[in-house]
Amino acid sequence: MSLLSLLIFLPIVAGILILLLPSAWQQRYKYVALGAVLLQMLISAYIYINFDNTLSGIADQSTFQLVERIPWIRLNLGALGNLEIDYFLGIDGLSMPFLVLTSLVMLVALLASWDIQKNLKGYFALFLLLDCAVMGVFSALDFFLFYIFYELMLLPLYFLIGMWGGVRREYAAIKFFLYTLLGSVFMLLVIIGLYFSVTDPETGGHTFNMLHMMNPANYAQDSIFSVIAGQEIFGVSARLLAFIVLFVAFAIKVPIVPLHTWLPDAHVEAPTPVSIILAGVLLKIGGYGILRVCLSIFPDAAIQSAWWLGLIGVASILYGALNALAQRDLKRLIAYSSISHMGFVLLGIASATSEGISGAMMQMISHGFLSSMLFFLVGVIYERVHNREIPNFRGLALIMPRYTVFVMIAFFASLGLPGFSAFIAEAFSLIGAFNSQSINGLLPRWMAVAGSVGILLGASYLLWTLQRMFFGETRLWGGDEWKAKLTDVNGREVFALTSLALMSLALGILPSLAFDKMNASVLELIQLMNIR
Amino acid sequence: MNEYLPYLSELLSEALSGISFILPEIALVLTFLLVIVVDLFIPGKNSVNTSAIALTGIIISAYLNYQQSLSIEKGLSLFSGSIVLDRVAIGFKLIFAFVTVLFVVFIKGNTALKRHNKGLGDLYMLLPAVLLGLNLMAMASNLLMVYISIEMVSIASYLMVGYVSGEGKQTEASMKYALFGSACSAIMLYGMSLLYGFTGTISLSDGNIIAQLSHIAEPAIALAILLTLVGIGFKLSFVPLHFWSPDVYQGAPTPVTAFLSTAPKIAGFAILIRFLIPFYGYGAATGIQVFDFETTITVIAIATMILGNFAAIWQNNIKRMLAYSSIAHTGFALMAIVAIYQNGIRSLLFYFTVYAIMNMAAFMIADQVEQRTGEDDVRKYKGLGKFMKVEILCFVVILVSLTGLPPTGGFIAKLFIFTSAFEKYQASGSVWVLSLLVTGAITTVVSLFYYFKIPLNAYLREPDREYPVSSGLNFISYVILALTILIIVLGLFPSILA
Repeated sequence: MSLLSLLIFLPIVAGILILLLPSAWQQRYKYVALGAVLLQMLISAYIYINFDNTLSGIADQSTFQLVERIPWIRLNLGALGNLEIDYFLGIDGLSMPFLVLTSLVMLVALLASWDIQKNLKGYFALFLLLDCAVMGVFSALDFFLFYIFYELMLLPLYFLIGMWGGVRREYAAIKFFLYTLLGSVFMLLVIIGLYFSVTDPETGGHTFNMLHMMNPANYAQDSIFSVIAGQEIFGVSARLLAFIVLFVAFAIKVPIVPLHTWLPDAHVEAPTPVSIILAGVLLKIGGYGILRVCLSIFPDAAIQSAWWLGLIGVASILYGALNALAQRDLKRLIAYSSISHMGFVLLGIASATSEGISGAMMQMISHGFLSSMLFFLVGVIYERVHNREIPNFRGLALIMPRYTVFVMIAFFASLGLPGFSAFIAEAFSLIGAFNSQSINGLLPRWMAVAGSVGILLGASYLLWTLQRMFFGETRLWGGDEWKAKLTDVNGREVFALTSLALMSLALGILPSLAFDKMNASVLELIQLMNIR
Repeated sequence: MNEYLPYLSELLSEALSGISFILPEIALVLTFLLVIVVDLFIPGKNSVNTSAIALTGIIISAYLNYQQSLSIEKGLSLFSGSIVLDRVAIGFKLIFAFVTVLFVVFIKGNTALKRHNKGLGDLYMLLPAVLLGLNLMAMASNLLMVYISIEMVSIASYLMVGYVSGEGKQTEASMKYALFGSACSAIMLYGMSLLYGFTGTISLSDGNIIAQLSHIAEPAIALAILLTLVGIGFKLSFVPLHFWSPDVYQGAPTPVTAFLSTAPKIAGFAILIRFLIPFYGYGAATGIQVFDFETTITVIAIATMILGNFAAIWQNNIKRMLAYSSIAHTGFALMAIVAIYQNGIRSLLFYFTVYAIMNMAAFMIADQVEQRTGEDDVRKYKGLGKFMKVEILCFVVILVSLTGLPPTGGFIAKLFIFTSAFEKYQASGSVWVLSLLVTGAITTVVSLFYYFKIPLNAYLREPDREYPVSSGLNFISYVILALTILIIVLGLFPSILA
C-alpha cells in the first residue's frame, strides 16, 4: 500500500472507527478525527519534502511519483470489449500542492468544528468521508476512479450543509447538489465517449486511463473524439463539444459567472467548517479538473476556446467583486470575493503561458489558505453572537484586538499586499494574461487590464468592511449582551489562524516553495498544449 | 387425425428429450401442487408450513437453474421451437427466482397481510405458479408461448393485487389492473393473429417470420407489430401504457407492489428482447428494415423517461413515487433495448439484477416505515433518521443507487446502459440515439430531486412528533441491510456478477 492510498483511506478507517464507537464516547470522536487529520498532515508533509522537482508528470506515467496501478475492474462486455478500469493513483506537480493544501485545510476545518454539538457521530463520519473523496480526486489518474471520488464528494456535502447549516440550508444543499450533478452527468457521457475512442497501446483494449487519453496516437482512427477524424455533432466539432461539457462541469465547481449562483447560498448556509472546506479545497477541484482533464485531454479545443475562457475569467473577477461591494452579510461578502479571486485562476489558465498557469496554481493554493482564514474569522464572530451582518458591528478593534489583527492580516493578504501569497499569484496570472498577446496571441491585453481593476475593487470592499466593522467607537446591535459574548480569540483559534497566515506569508516571501515543485509539470503541460 | 400418425412418435420423442431441460419448471409445478395440498391439510400457524414448502421449491428450482447455467453453452430450441433455453434465459430466470425469494421474505415481514383473515396460504400458492409463468416468459420463442406465459403471469398478478381487497382503493386498483390488463392482452392477441396471418408461422426463432413479413405492405406490418407491442408494453408500463401502474402500485399490498414492479417488468423485457432479436438479426443480415424499431423504441424510451421522472416530482405518496420511478427506470432500460444487437444484453442483465435488488429494498424500507409509523407520505418522514437509524441510512444508499451515483451498483448499471447506447451512437451516428443519451443524463438530475425528498425529510428536518427513542432491528431490517451492502459491493466490484 503506497502513501497515496494511505492518505485516501486513512480518513475512512477513522470514520468507521467513529461509527463503531459507542455514543457515550461522543466527546472523543473529534480526537479520533483530529488524529487522522494530523497523521494525514504528516504524510503529506513527508510527500512534499520528498517530492522530486525534476519529474514532470502530466502525460507520462514514468514521470509520475508514488504511482500505484492495480487492475480493478475487468469485465467482458462482449462486443463492447473488455471493460478495463485500474485503481491508478499518482501525483505530479499539479496535484501534489493540493494534497498539502487539503490536509492543512482539513485540519483547520476540524479545529473549527470543535464546538459542533448536534449529532457528532454523523458529523465526523461525513467529514472524514469527504476528506477521503477529496484526496482521491487529487490522486486519481484513471478517469473512472476520478469520477467515483468526484461524485462521492457530493453526498457528504449535501448532508453537512443540510443538517448542520443555517436557516435556508435545505434550499442551499439541494441547489448545490443539483448544480454539480448536472455538470457531472454530462461529464459521464464524455467519459464514455473517451473510453470508446481511446485504446490502451499495451493491451489493445479500451481504457479509462487519463494518461492514454492525452496521447493523440491512442485514439482509434474513426472514433468520435479522434483528432484526425474530426467528427461533428450538430455541426460542432465533437472534441470542442466534449471540451465545453467538461469545462462546464468543472466551471460549476470553480465557479464561474453565470454558473456561480449556488456558491453564495451554499457558503452562507453551510456551517463554518464546511464553508472552509468548500472555499479552501472544493473550488480548487474545479480548477484542478480544468488543468488535469480539459487542458490535458483536449488541448486543441482549449486553445480554440482560450479567448472565451479569459472573458469568463474577467467577468467573474469583476462581477464577483462588484457583488461583494454590495453585500451586508459578511459571509456572503467573502463568498463573492471567492468568485472574484477564482476568476484569476481562469484568466491565468486561459493565457496558456507558464507565468499564467503557475499564477493560476499559486492563486488556487493561496486562496485555499486565505479563504479558509476568512471563513474561520467569520465563524468566530458568528459562533459568539449568531449574527454576521456588517452594519450590526462597529469598533470591534477595541474589544477584540487580537481578532482584529488576524482580520487585518487576512484582508490585506487577500487584497494582494506584497509579501503575501495572493500578490504573487495575482501578479503572475496578470503577467501571463498580459504576455499572452505577444507569446501566443490568445488573450487580448485589455483582459489583463480589466483583471487588475478587479484587484482595485477587491481593495475597496475589503478596506471598507474593515473600516465599518472594526474601526471607530464600539457600537453593537446587541448592546452589552453582545459585548460580553464577544470574547477575543482563544488558543485553538489562534493556532488555526496563525498557521494559515504563516503559510500565506511563507508563499509570499518564498514563492519558490511552491513554484519549484510545480514548474516542471507546468512547462510540460504548456508543451502538450502547443504540440497541436 | 390419421395423417398425423406418422409424425406422432417423432413429436413424442422430441417432447420427451426436452423434459430434462425443463427440470426447474417441473420442480415449480410439483411445488405448486404440493403447496395446495399442504395448505389444505397442514398449513401450520400463519401458514408457516406452506411458506416453507414454497420457499424450498423455489430455491430448488433456482439451484437447478444454476446447474443449467454451468452446462448450457449455446442456445437450445426445445419442444418444436416453442421455448429456447440459452444463457440469457437462465440469467433472467435466476433474477426471477431471487426476486421471488425476496418476495416470500417480504410477505413474512408484512403484518397487514398476515393479519388478514384470509391467511397467507393462497398467496404462497401463487408464487410457484407466477414464477413458472415468468420462467416461460424468459424462454418463450413462439408467439403462442409468449401469449400464454404473459397471461399466466397476469392472472396470478390480478389475484395478488386483489388479495386483501376490501376497502375502496384496493378494489379499485385490482379492478383497474384486471380490466386494463385483459384489454391489453386482447389487443396483443389481435396483433399476433395478424402476424400469423401474414406469415403463416408463429415461431420467432427460425427467422422465417421476418422474411415472410418483408413481402407485406408496411402499414399492415406496423399495425400488427404495434398491437403486439401493446401487450408487452402493459407489462413494462412504458408510456403511453403506464396509466395503470401508479394507482395499482399504491392500492396493492406493498410486498405485491414491490414484486409487480420488479419481476413481471423484467420478464416483459425478456419477451421484448426475444421479439426484437429476429428483426434486428434479419435487418443486419439483409439490410432490409421490416419495421423501424429503433425510432419507435427511442421515442417511447424518451417519453417514458421524461414522464416517469417529471411526474415523480409531484408525488408525495412513497409508493406512487416509487411507481413513477420504476416507470422512469423502464425508460432507461429501453435505451439498452435500442442498442440490444450490439450486445446490450449483458449490460441489461446487470441492470436488471441491480434494479431488482434496489427496487425490492426500497419497497421493503417503505413498508417498514409504514408499519412502524403508519406513514406513507414522504412529507411525514420528518426526523425519521433518528428513529429508524439503520433502515433510513440504507434507504439513502438505495436512493443514491436508484439515482445512479457512485459508489453503488446503480451507477455501474447506468454506466453500462450509457455505454451500450453510446456504442450504438458511434456505430450509427443517429441523432435519436444521441437525444436518448442526453435525455438519460438530464432525467438523472431530475430524479435526484425527488429521490432526495426522503433524506431531506428524514434527516434535514426536525420531527414534528415524538418518536420512541429508537426502534430495534427486526428480521426484515437485516435483509435490507444485506441488500444495501450487496448494492455497494456491486458498485465497487461489478465483476463478481459475471
